Formats: sequence, structure tokens, C-alpha cells
Amino acid sequence: MVAAVAIAVAAYFTNRINLGLDLRGGMYLALKVETNDALRATTDKDMERLRQELVDQKVPGVAVQRTSDTAFEATGVPLDKGDVVGQIRDKFLSGWDWKTDGDRLVFTMQERSAADIREQAVEQALRTIRNRIDEFGVGETQIQRQGLSSDRLLVQLPGVDDPERVKRLIKNTAFLEFRLVDFPPNGGGLSNKDEILQHYGGKLPANIEVLPGDTRDREGRVTGEMYYAVEKRRVITGRDLKDARPGVGQFNDPVVNFTLTFEGGKLFGDATGANVGKGLAIILDGRVVSAPRINSRITDSGVIEGRFTRKEVEDLSTVLHSGALPAGITYLEERTVGPSLGADSIRQGLQAGGLGALLVIIAIMVMYRGSGINAVLALVINLVLIFGALASAGAALTLPGIAGIVLTIGIAVDANVLVFERIKEELRAGRTVKAAVDSGFQRALPSILDANICTLIAAAFLFQFGTGPVRGFAVTLFIGIIGTIFTAVFVSRWMFDLVLSRRERVETLSI
Amino acid sequence: MNLYNTHIDFMKYRKFWVWVSLALVVVGLVSIVAPFRVNLGIDFAGGTQLVLKFPAAPEVDRLRHLVESTGVRDAQIQRYGKEGENSVIVKTSTLAGSEEGSGTKVVAALNAAFNAGATGADLNQLGSESIASLLARLDPDHVAAQGDVAAQQHYAPAAVQVMQARKQYGLLTSWDQIHGLSPTVLEALKKNARLGSFAVLSVENVGPQAGAELRRKGLLAVGWALLGMLIYIGIRFQLPYGVGATMATIHDVLVTVGLYTLAGFEWNLTTIAAFLTLIGYSTNDTVVTFDRVRENLRKTKGEPLIEVLNRSINQTLSRTLLTGGTVFLAAGSLLLLGGEVLRGFAFIITVGVIIGTYSSVYVASPFALLWVNYFSKRKAAQKPAGAPKTVKPKTATPKPVEPVKPQPVSGKGGKSRAAGNRR
Repeated sequence: MVAAVAIAVAAYFTNRINLGLDLRGGMYLALKVETNDALRATTDKDMERLRQELVDQKVPGVAVQRTSDTAFEATGVPLDKGDVVGQIRDKFLSGWDWKTDGDRLVFTMQERSAADIREQAVEQALRTIRNRIDEFGVGETQIQRQGLSSDRLLVQLPGVDDPERVKRLIKNTAFLEFRLVDFPPNGGGLSNKDEILQHYGGKLPANIEVLPGDTRDREGRVTGEMYYAVEKRRVITGRDLKDARPGVGQFNDPVVNFTLTFEGGKLFGDATGANVGKGLAIILDGRVVSAPRINSRITDSGVIEGRFTRKEVEDLSTVLHSGALPAGITYLEERTVGPSLGADSIRQGLQAGGLGALLVIIAIMVMYRGSGINAVLALVINLVLIFGALASAGAALTLPGIAGIVLTIGIAVDANVLVFERIKEELRAGRTVKAAVDSGFQRALPSILDANICTLIAAAFLFQFGTGPVRGFAVTLFIGIIGTIFTAVFVSRWMFDLVLSRRERVETLSI
Repeated sequence: MNLYNTHIDFMKYRKFWVWVSLALVVVGLVSIVAPFRVNLGIDFAGGTQLVLKFPAAPEVDRLRHLVESTGVRDAQIQRYGKEGENSVIVKTSTLAGSEEGSGTKVVAALNAAFNAGATGADLNQLGSESIASLLARLDPDHVAAQGDVAAQQHYAPAAVQVMQARKQYGLLTSWDQIHGLSPTVLEALKKNARLGSFAVLSVENVGPQAGAELRRKGLLAVGWALLGMLIYIGIRFQLPYGVGATMATIHDVLVTVGLYTLAGFEWNLTTIAAFLTLIGYSTNDTVVTFDRVRENLRKTKGEPLIEVLNRSINQTLSRTLLTGGTVFLAAGSLLLLGGEVLRGFAFIITVGVIIGTYSSVYVASPFALLWVNYFSKRKAAQKPAGAPKTVKPKTATPKPVEPVKPQPVSGKGGKSRAAGNRR
């Protein structure tokens, strides 16, 4: 018993109690990985593959288009080229079910590969977000998946005081691509979309698309939009980056310096070498950041400039080398508590707890006099146990958690009351003090168990239901009840025995 | 206080109190069914909620107008905390048709209105890292030569000082509130930054999806907890007492729901926590009385049940009141001092304890009695009515009422204990 208390006290002082977000301030986010994005991306990629292969194998006149996130179809497949298509299918499209319908070939993603893609998307999102937040340098963060196969992630960031920036940082898909600019020929953009269309005679070629980008002033403020006609084919993507760091450009403006992997460098070198004089669009999440002219062959490193602010450059480097998110993110739940509210909550919780404890102790002392000391001691030990358990389990103390402790003070007395009332009854029935104490404890035990098991059941369901603060409440309540049973049944008993064994004959008991 | 050897005839007025309870339950039910009375918080309804602090008491109407001018619907604005704190809580819907919160939009609108024309960084809104970056750019200590990272590090402690002041005051209204800054740094901040005229103390957003999910989970948790109690009671007690205890618990929940709703409190996650706790406490209270009933029934076979109930209630009265009292004191302290966040929670427990104590006496026991009597009357041909059937274990009884067992009312748990008690 003494050992248990000692361990609890030791744990309390060595480990300190973890304060929950609602008490110390910080941010809680529940977000959903839009796994359909990843499915769509895979569908697009495989569809492009088919289109490319058909072109390479000289099968003309086939139109390919996506019909849903997990399906696409090819129309106009010449009947005599069936086996060529079959070969492409077997070679590159193994995760797909397909059926023919006249000259139409319908591809549907297999359930299993869809599930795999979703799973990978969530796992990769989890890793990417973890990397980003680690780099952001916030301590004691918690990032976890909510349940085994869910698309939800829970992020807890204690002490964060710039929530908007964190939200942007996490959500940034950061899909970086480099593509050649087809028009205007020397890079640079046009402020008018129609001019671009006119250049192509009103209809864009199949391999070209128009993307927007911001124009900015010297300070990095957005002033308008520009449009660029770029090739659909990507020269390299963010995956080919080895590293990205914030740096300073030739006009002392913030830029991102990047280095490429060996393979990425080869691809980049080939493309830039063959297209000197043309524009190269740097595209982030579908928007053109800048489109400088290629002056010479570039192989292993480069610069992204785009009139950024210094903070943007830092965040961009962070997201670039933490990797791209495989899918979009939606914030389902967000709770940010500033430090001042947390401090208020701690103060109020402590005040309420102090008053509650004081009143309860007075009530016990009035009702049970000498034996009341016993109950109060049991109560104190119970509190120490709660804090010790919280500290050693690393569980966070939340505001509802404090409420749980205050409530436990009230409820914990119940077990002592049950015992004391029994002892009183036995004394009134004319038993000796020792016999009364003995049978009091014995006969109260079933009621103590019955009563506390009821509250335990409630606390267990609460734990299962709650997240964050409410879970903190369930935890303190749960520990408090276990502590109650322990102190009432063992500690209090032990104290009675200690006092009673000191005297030879006990005539009276202050109760 | 003499709570011992009381001989109050609790059961005498049971009919009156049963009607009172029924009336209260009906109030509770009506309050939930009438949807306009239930104040669903953002946890369950979805929405955005901000706590804002101003230097002086803000005009609520102006705020509402401002918030709604951004196109955000259903703005509700209430005072938050004590009067002198000049804080308000702003509740709005999420951005139309999305999971995303409207917090950013609302703050932007407030900035346009309250900090109009002001230039320089707002120390009441910047994060600590941004403050450090700002100082690194202003560079009052001339450390830029050491490089960006070093400069940022150099000014980080100053930023922490500003945040400390914000932690203490919530809203900075005077430069004197910030301590521990070197004169040069303070001078640079005074020149290039400002103390804006409001602070955002907290932002919470729950999207419609998450709200619906929390709603579902909350109801499920309460349902499962009730079921759990039912099963436990079913194992420990025989049917009439199980019914009585369950009725008492449901009674307590419904009555408290009614009072909670009528008092205009908001339903949120802690509300569910409070009700689950109440379910546990209320059952616990009843169970202790029934434990005593079981014990007494064993001791005194042949006594009418109504007498046994009365005696058991009297015997446990001091415990019932004392435990109720201590929980009441603890919960009352929370209600008094626990602050805004815990108020609803504390209300439920405080009121629930009173209701729960009452119901152990006047709902649980009368129901058990009613049940026993009702089924005895159905067999009135064989037995005199009113007597608890438990004293006649040999008669054939309808199945659900009394599993044929030698021991009168005790369930499975009772048997082993009976043996122990005889020692």
C-alpha cells in the first residue's frame, strides 16, 4: 500500500502532469484525406498511359476519357487492333477490370486496388503531415489515424499560436511540376485568356492546357492573374527533388533553391537542353508560380522564384521536401485555444476544486468526527493516486478532467460513508468496537462494489465515445473510482486497524 | 443531525410523488420534442465559434451586423465570462455548403471594422514566430549580419515575452503590459507594430459532417451506457428491482434534460459527459438502497414488502443524504467557480444529484412495489393481494417475474454473500 502511494508520488514529480490543449492552449484538428483524389489521380495516370501506348503502337483514332473516379473508357478501338490493346492492358493495366461493348472498352478499377490506393493515400498523407509539422518545430505533437482503416487523421499541436499558418502548411498539397510553356513562346504569361485561344485558332491541341498564375508586386502581394498555355506532359515533379531550401535571389528577394535526384537531374537536363529559349513553367497545385526562360541546360539544381514573401519561401521549402500530399485534405473539426483562456480555465478549475474539497472535508469531519480524519486521509491518498496515474500513464489533464477529479472528491466519500454507516449501525446494535469495524467493512463491501461498478460502466462508455477533453474526463473519473474502491476497502481499513491495535481495549470510537 | 433510527413512512405518499415524477418527466420529454427549445452547440449542430476579447464592452448588435455582413448566417453573440472581461462568444454556421469554418472571414471583417486604417503588425493577433520574424526584419539590435536563423533566434525570447503578456491579459491594451523587453526592441515594436483593438481567444469549428457524427456517437454512448446499467442491474437484482432502478435512472435523465433545456444551456460534448456520469451516479444511488432491501428481505421473511422498503430506505437514509450532499457540494463548487466551459456540466450534476437522491426513494421503490403488487394481483385467485409474492416461493409464478429460486429477492450475486454474512 505504502509502496503504491510512493510510486504514485514519485511518478507525479518525475513525470509532471501533461496538460491538455484546452488548458495549455494549442490546436486540435480532425481532418479527412480525400482519398477519391488519389483514385482519380491513378485513373488519370493509367488512362494517360493507355493513350501514350496507343500512340506509340500506332493505333489511331482512339478517344480515351475518364467516366468516374475509378473508371475510364476507350472508344473507337479498331476491331483488328484488339490484340495490341490486349497486350497493353496485360502489361500496364493489371489493377483494372475491363469489358468490351462494341468498339467501346470500359475499364473499372478493381476493388482491391482501389482499397490499396486509399490505404496508401492515407498513410502517405499521415507521413507527409508529420514531416511538415516536425519541420515546423512544434514540440509534443500528436498525429494519428482515427481508427484502423479510416480516412480521418487527428492532429494535436500544443502551444501553437499561429493556427492559420499551420492549417495552410498542412493542407498545402504541394504538388510541384515543371512543364514546358508552349505559348507565349518565351515564358511569361498573358493577362487575357482569349489571346491564347486565338493563337491556337480557337481550339487547344490535345496535349496543351491553359493554367492560371498570380501576378505579384515587389512586396509579394497578389495583384492579378496571368495565363499560360503549357504542355500536359511533365518534365519532372516534386518527387524528383532531393532537397529544397529557402535562399536569396539575385535581387535579394526570397527564393527556393532546389537540388534534384540523379534521375530527376537526367530528365531535367534532357528537357532543358533541348528547349533552350523556351519558357519553363513551375506549377504548384495547378497554378503557375513562375515561368522563366530556359537560358541553358540545367542538370542538378535550380531556383524557384516568384516574388514570394520570406515566410512563403520557408513554408514552400518545407512542403517541398516533406513531399506532396497524395490527395486533398478537408478540415472536419478544428479547435484552437489561446493561452489566456487556458490559464483562466486552470485557475477556475483549481478554485472550484479547492472549494469543493474544503466543503466535502468539513462535511465529513462534522458527520464523523474522529473517524472523519480517516476518510479525509483516504481522500487525499486517492487524489495522489489519480495524479500519479495520470502522470505515469502520460494522459493529459483537461478541464473536464479537473471536473472529473472534483466530482471524484464528492463521489469517493461514498465508499467511506457506506462503511461508516454500517459501523455506526453495528455499534448501535451493541457490538464491541472491533467487531463493529470488522463487520462494518465486510457488510458494506458488496454495496461499495455495486455502487462503483455502475459509475465505472458509465465512465467506460464515455471513454469510448469521447475525444480530447471529454476523454480526459472519463480517464480521471475511471482512475478516481478505482482509487476510491482501493482506498475505502484497504487504506481506510488499515488505518482503523492501526489505531485500534494500539490500545488493548477499545471502548469508544469517534464516529 | 440525527438521521438515525428515523421511521419516516416514505411509501405512504408514494402515489402523490409518482404523479409529481410523471409530470416532471413529461416536461422533460416535451422539452426535447419541441426542437426550438433545444440549444444545440456547434459540437452537434456544426458551426464556427469564436471567443473574442475587446478593451471595453462591445455592442452586441453592431457585432452581429458586422458578422452577418460577411454573408455568414445565423450569427449568435453572447457575453462570455464575467462582465469586466469584455469578452463575447460568436457562434455562426460554417461556410455555406462546406466543412470549412467561417472564423477567418469573421476575423477579417472585424479587422476591417475595428482596426480600420491601422498600419503595422497587430501584436494581439500575430503568433510568436511571426513576432520574431518581424523583429528580425526590423533588427533593432543589429544582428542581421549573423544570418537569418541567428537573428530569428536572437529575437525569439522577446516574442515569448509578448506572448506571455497576452497569456496573462488576453488582450494587450497598453505597452506597459509587456515586460522584459530591451528598450531598443520595445521602441522598434512601438514604432512598427500596434496593439489592435480586439483579440481572438479561441476558434472552434465543427463541420456539418463531424457534427452529425458526434451527434450519432453521443446518442449511442448514452444508449449503450443505459443498456450497460440495465445488464448489470439485471445480473445483480431480480426483475421488479431492476425495473425500479432503471425507471429511476431514466426518470433522472429525462427530468434533468428538461430542466437543462428549459434553463437554456447549450448541448455539447461535455453535456454528454455529464449525463453519462449522472446515469452512473443515479443507478449507484438506487442500487445501494436495493442492496439493503435484499438483505432485509432475507432476514425477515413474511414481512410485507412495503414495510421492508420503508425500513430499508430509512436505514440507508443517512448514507443517501450524506453522499448526495458531498457530491452536491463538489458539483456546486464547480457550478459556482468552474467558469463558463463547465457551467452546463456542473448544472447537470448538481441538479441531477438532487433528482437522483429523490428518485432512489420515490421512483425506484414505488415502481418495484407496483410491479410486485401488479403481478401478485393477477394471481389473486390463489393469493391475498398486496403481499409480496416473494414470501411465497412455492407457488407457480409467471416466468419473468420470479425465477423459481429458494432465495426470495436476491439475484445470483446474493447467494454467495448470504453465506458470507452468516459468519
